[in-house]
Amino acid sequence: MKKLSILALFVIMVLSLVVVGCKPRQEKSEVQKIIAQAETMTLEELGRKAIEESKGKTFYGVGNSSRGKSALPKFIEYLKTLDETYTLTFEWQQPKNNKIFDQLKADSLKAKGTFAMTLIQDGNQIESKMVKTGILDTFIPKDWAKENNINRSEYTGYLALQTLNKVFMFNNKGTKTFTNCWDFVMPGEHGQFMDIDSEIVGKNFLYMLTKPEYAKNLKDAYDKLDSAKKALIDPTITAVTQDAADLKLDQNGKYALAWIKLWVESYTTVNDDGPICNNLVQASSVDQFGLLVYSKLRSVQETETVSKSNVTIAAYQNNYEGMGGYGYCHYLFVTDNSPLPWTACAFIAYMTCTVDGFEAWGKDMGGYSSNPKVARDTETRFKHLENSGDKGYTWWVENGKLVLEDPEYCSEVAFTVGAWIELLTKYTG
Amino acid sequence: MEIINARPISKGKLFWAKVKTFFSKPQNVILVLMGIICTFTTFAPIIAIINDTIQIHPGTIDAHLTGKTEGYTLINYIDLFTGPLAKINLWTPLLNTLILAICSCLVSIIYGGLFAFLVTRTNLKLKKYLSSIFIFPYIMPQWTLAMVWQNLFDSIAVTGTKNGLLAGLFNITMPLWWCQGLFPSILVLGLHYAPFAYILIGGIFRNMDANLEEAATILDTPKWKIMTRVTLPLIKPAILSTILLVFGSSMGSYPVPHFLRLTTLSTKYLEMNVSRAGEASILAVIMMFLGIGIMYFNQRSLKSKKSYTTVTGKSGQTSVINIGKAGKHIVAAIFFIITFFTSVFPIISFAFETFLPNPGDYSFFYTWNANNLTTKWWTTSENLTESGMYGQKGMLYNETIWRGFGGTMLVSVCSALLAGTLGTLIGYAVSKNRRSKLSSYVNGVAFLPYLMPSVAVGVAFFVLFSNEYFNLYNTYLLIIIVGTVKYIPFASRSSLNSMLQLSGEIEEAALIQGIPWHKRMLNIIIPIQKSTIISGYLLPFMTCLRELSLFMLLCVQGFILSTSLDYFDEMGLYAFSSGINLILIVTILIFNTLVNKITGASLDKGIGG
Repeated sequence: MKKLSILALFVIMVLSLVVVGCKPRQEKSEVQKIIAQAETMTLEELGRKAIEESKGKTFYGVGNSSRGKSALPKFIEYLKTLDETYTLTFEWQQPKNNKIFDQLKADSLKAKGTFAMTLIQDGNQIESKMVKTGILDTFIPKDWAKENNINRSEYTGYLALQTLNKVFMFNNKGTKTFTNCWDFVMPGEHGQFMDIDSEIVGKNFLYMLTKPEYAKNLKDAYDKLDSAKKALIDPTITAVTQDAADLKLDQNGKYALAWIKLWVESYTTVNDDGPICNNLVQASSVDQFGLLVYSKLRSVQETETVSKSNVTIAAYQNNYEGMGGYGYCHYLFVTDNSPLPWTACAFIAYMTCTVDGFEAWGKDMGGYSSNPKVARDTETRFKHLENSGDKGYTWWVENGKLVLEDPEYCSEVAFTVGAWIELLTKYTG
Repeated sequence: MEIINARPISKGKLFWAKVKTFFSKPQNVILVLMGIICTFTTFAPIIAIINDTIQIHPGTIDAHLTGKTEGYTLINYIDLFTGPLAKINLWTPLLNTLILAICSCLVSIIYGGLFAFLVTRTNLKLKKYLSSIFIFPYIMPQWTLAMVWQNLFDSIAVTGTKNGLLAGLFNITMPLWWCQGLFPSILVLGLHYAPFAYILIGGIFRNMDANLEEAATILDTPKWKIMTRVTLPLIKPAILSTILLVFGSSMGSYPVPHFLRLTTLSTKYLEMNVSRAGEASILAVIMMFLGIGIMYFNQRSLKSKKSYTTVTGKSGQTSVINIGKAGKHIVAAIFFIITFFTSVFPIISFAFETFLPNPGDYSFFYTWNANNLTTKWWTTSENLTESGMYGQKGMLYNETIWRGFGGTMLVSVCSALLAGTLGTLIGYAVSKNRRSKLSSYVNGVAFLPYLMPSVAVGVAFFVLFSNEYFNLYNTYLLIIIVGTVKYIPFASRSSLNSMLQLSGEIEEAALIQGIPWHKRMLNIIIPIQKSTIISGYLLPFMTCLRELSLFMLLCVQGFILSTSLDYFDEMGLYAFSSGINLILIVTILIFNTLVNKITGASLDKGIGG
């Protein structure tokens, strides 16, 4: 029995190491060359290349947003206007639990991948796991660059499809008011928030707070607090001052660390933004607040105990000070071993440069196209500012002081500030 | 006198003759084939994941600490065991996991065992109803009861989320330890796995020779002594089997601790996989070794219980204990109420949830106004206009749900057929070669995956099949393979038990008649043990239908129904998750009834028939 087990183990070990222990391939694909050409083309030219490449084939995409599945039929319709005989079948996958990175990594090991492109969030992991490793390539459509006044040769950022915002909102059926972003971390307050270890963009938000410009915003908001409230926060600021120095943050870094510490040690974990929204809109949720995706409010049905009017967007108050929430992007990439690189580029250009292409996201409030022209046209078509009370991307960035994700910065501090955050004791009730 | 010179047979010829003789027996061929298959499917994933613990993963802590983006390192072990986060990332989750697994075993054995005793050995009322309804928590997805718990006991004042029924309607708030953490997780998992204890312990109670207890009674032995000296030792093997099954399952449970906010190794694995992938794999390895450990201890315990094996003959005489005229009604009423909350209430609440205008919006209860109910979650046929549906079509028209349903059926049917068939063959072959080392090896190695936590098995198969040669992520093939490997033990154990009951003479008689093996199996052996063998198919089927922990890392949401359910539930679309739960429960009940009517086998007769 023992001998048998040992022999079996040995054989399996050898076989398995052969299978799983192989190093990733070194050779580069032709995709980057195709992207370089594609970046000089108009949408129509790309469309024709796509038709040539993918007619009658199957297109596989993978993304954090399920709406890629709704955008693809529109894209096919568009290509049919160029060639009415064009056909394309497609499959859009939406993995969970951060699996998108594992899936893309596994797919990258093949000479020719399954996925043509991806729509992905979490700038930190994209930078460290996908871009630096050469798994994903950035394609910047010509029209998008033009609308954003970008010189491609100088631009090193990624291509964002849209920015989503998560904003502070509170139930207004009680007496409490939240007029400063520090109010959300005062002793005894417990905001509802998706756990930073289950939705990583939340962790990136905390990393971003330590960036000098956002740390300064926190300092400015702190300065606006009355002395009684300052006294409640000061011990925490003092306690993290040395940590801020050790982490090589600037002079306002201690305010960022203090806010992070107070937030992590006080927020109540909820599985998703949907349940947070469901909780806050109930009349009985007196004085509760949360940090959640703005667009969740769109689906609330008015009943006798549930109403959107039970909720106040903190930043929309005239006397509100400090950040109103944070913004993160859905980025678009072509896989470096894409089986249909031209089609992927055309699809990406279609989503980022046309209002029809963006419609799958644009039809609902709270998602802002990265292309100013598409953003304007989307507003004209759907009138979110008028109908839903949304104040729009520019307002959120300038007045709402949205904390915007910077993938490079997140990646830089992920194991410094990140390790410091991991040592904090999360609130458990 | 003629002298015959017997030429000695060469060693090579002798060897080949032995090989030929060995393989002339079908059971030996099966053992060798199954040995190879089970060895690969059991050990290859383990080795793959061990390999992952020493690999450098770009963008994670090992790459940061080593300054490299590829290669091998032991830094993950060093950091996990000795780093500043060792307590948070390893020791606390490990301790919680062990407490959860041990206490869940206790709850399920006490609750399930007591119920088994009452149903099989007393004159309890409503036996038939209670017996059927008792297994419902096992039929339903694991986190069903966790959701019910939340809906009952959460409160803004304590959990900071929303008011559950108790807080909302009666203004009663329960303490935090009651609402979240170890206590509710233990209770929920214990209740979920109590049917195991009921099935296994009940089986022994049914067949137990009552003469032994009666003899003790005649000798004026106190009742507690009869229980501890006679009854409990008799059911010890069943208790050990329950421990084996429940410990392995609860240790690897992800949804229950996740919903009830308990940090265990499986929840920590998913948290750490983002920035500490190698260290997360070490957690998976630890879970696997805990599974192997529990199997080892179980086998040792079974060896040491030789003194009880004399109690094997069935006298056919069972006694019914009278628990009193009032007692039989009172106890039945108590179980009626408990099973109402564990089995019936979840179904009613699921059904009701699908008619609420907003998730968790109980306006109807406060107003009794029918306008505060809706059928939109079922009947909305488009998702273009915003109708409070979060961009989804109603369940009757929702392609994601019905595609998931199709996928689940495919996976469940294929896994059940494969696991059932392979398990039956293993049981047959092992029973024919009981004393051979090969058979005990195959028997052990086939059972091992069941004891490994589902999350860990899922992780291991993901790692194994995510490379440039095999990339099976998000394919039905991978899910079917994993489902088969994980659930072969259901079939192999029930098959082995039933085959051991069969006298060898039956097959030998057919063998003498020159009847080929496949005919002996199809026309003699399988028909005799039909109901037990069908249980070996039924149990993998039911389990696959609502399995999440095992499959969640192997496919995207919408691929199968349980991952769709989890997706909608996490999004807060409780109408959809509740609706899917209902669909699953109805499907399982239909299949259970059909199989029961056609073959006589049934889930509540369970493992081993």
